[in-house]
Amino acid sequence: MSEERPRVVYLDDEENNLMAFKAMFRREFEIFTTTSAADAVAYLNQHEVQLILSDQKMPDISGVEFFELTYPDFPDAVRILVTGYADMEAVIDAINKGHVYRYVTKPWNENDFRVTMLNGVEKWRNAKELRSKNEKLERAVDELEKFVYSASHDLRAPVVSIMGVTNLAKSENLGEKASEYFSMIEQSTGRLDSFLQNLIHYYQNLKSDEIKTEIDFNLLLDQLIEKYRPLENASSVNVTKDISTAGKFVTDEHRLSMVLGNLISNALRFRDSAKDQNNVEIHVVQTSDRAVIRIIDNGVGIDKDKLPHIFDMFYGTSELSKGTGVGLYIAKEATRRLNGKLSVTSDLESGTRFTIEIPNRA
Amino acid sequence: MSTGKVNIFLVDDNDIDLSVNSKLLGLTDFVGEITTFTSARKFLEELERIEGLAKQPNVLLLDIMMPGMDGFACLDAYSQLPDSIRHHIMVFMLSSSIDRNDIRRAENSPHVIRVLEKPLDVYLLKRLIENNLMDQRQV
Repeated sequence: MSEERPRVVYLDDEENNLMAFKAMFRREFEIFTTTSAADAVAYLNQHEVQLILSDQKMPDISGVEFFELTYPDFPDAVRILVTGYADMEAVIDAINKGHVYRYVTKPWNENDFRVTMLNGVEKWRNAKELRSKNEKLERAVDELEKFVYSASHDLRAPVVSIMGVTNLAKSENLGEKASEYFSMIEQSTGRLDSFLQNLIHYYQNLKSDEIKTEIDFNLLLDQLIEKYRPLENASSVNVTKDISTAGKFVTDEHRLSMVLGNLISNALRFRDSAKDQNNVEIHVVQTSDRAVIRIIDNGVGIDKDKLPHIFDMFYGTSELSKGTGVGLYIAKEATRRLNGKLSVTSDLESGTRFTIEIPNRA
Repeated sequence: MSTGKVNIFLVDDNDIDLSVNSKLLGLTDFVGEITTFTSARKFLEELERIEGLAKQPNVLLLDIMMPGMDGFACLDAYSQLPDSIRHHIMVFMLSSSIDRNDIRRAENSPHVIRVLEKPLDVYLLKRLIENNLMDQRQV
């Protein structure tokens, strides 16, 4: 393709200009000249043209009009206006309408004209390359989404089966050793599953539209506690809820449960074994315009230096091997999508306190 | 459950899930008879022959992802059945996927009470059944 000469269409009502142009540039460019706008369009329909040049002042159509006319069908071609005199208004008009790359004044300087055209061809090439890269990128994103979809189905299904069997095995009395092993399997599969879920949530949060539903805080919190307590092996943690509601509360339940699930599982996971009693308190105060949810634990707490970074993706992974490194990032992002705020205070003595504030969409 | 027990129809192509869920449900205090089906088609064929549906509440746990007739197709066929059958059945769908579109699609159906994620949480199921029975009585 670099061997091929760039194609140029030049429309002008003065034959002399066309001939001079052709004589000057025929070696470097594949040139089609015409005095008829209709012929120019016919040529454009049959060839991939890099540059469209047009005189401004013509009896039937102005250069700017010709550019506007052909823009919708040939948006990629680079347009250069050739003006016989300092018709500044037309030039400004053309540039403002956005489709003209440069203008050249007549009589033209051969070298300047050449440089302008070569730059135009370069611009055309760049735009084309960008478009093909964009297409590739879109395809890659598409495939990634398909992968996430199939991960959510195919990868998770067997994990979930293992969890079911383990759950069943634990509820039957198979002896102390067996229950100990099953507990280990349960925890590891639970980890694996929460990592899978986090990955899926990450993409869902990016992608999904908001679906508003009425929230039953009591039920939602119970479900999350029931879900995460065994996963975090945290049966000894004393979890209390205190919910005060006023009327309906509506938000995107899926995102809200991503946020609360991550925070509750963290509160359970990072309990402080040096303390006699591990506590997690969940307070919900809901009004007609918002809900404030606080999740307070007396766990190990977060170091002052680390606190500003805990919402960064993959921050926690090296510091605290217990985490997947995406949980709090997802919590923060999902809160943002709910138009809410997520904040944290923590110290190494008393534990960690997360506050989520989200608007009521009822 | 103050209202006595419920009968369960489990429809799932995955043998392991089918047997685990049926055992888990068998260990609870709110479940009476459990009937398992390895395909939606078998369930639909049998459903019209099952007698005594009206004697006690029945719960259908229908897996979404199945080869051949999947949960959604089964639901379409189910919705064509006479009221006299559907009236006695509470439908829950089961999925190991947490795909939102699937969940939304299922919960948009007037017949589906809820989509439950696998592994099945039998206590959540119990609670949802209780709530639903209470709602029905209030109506």
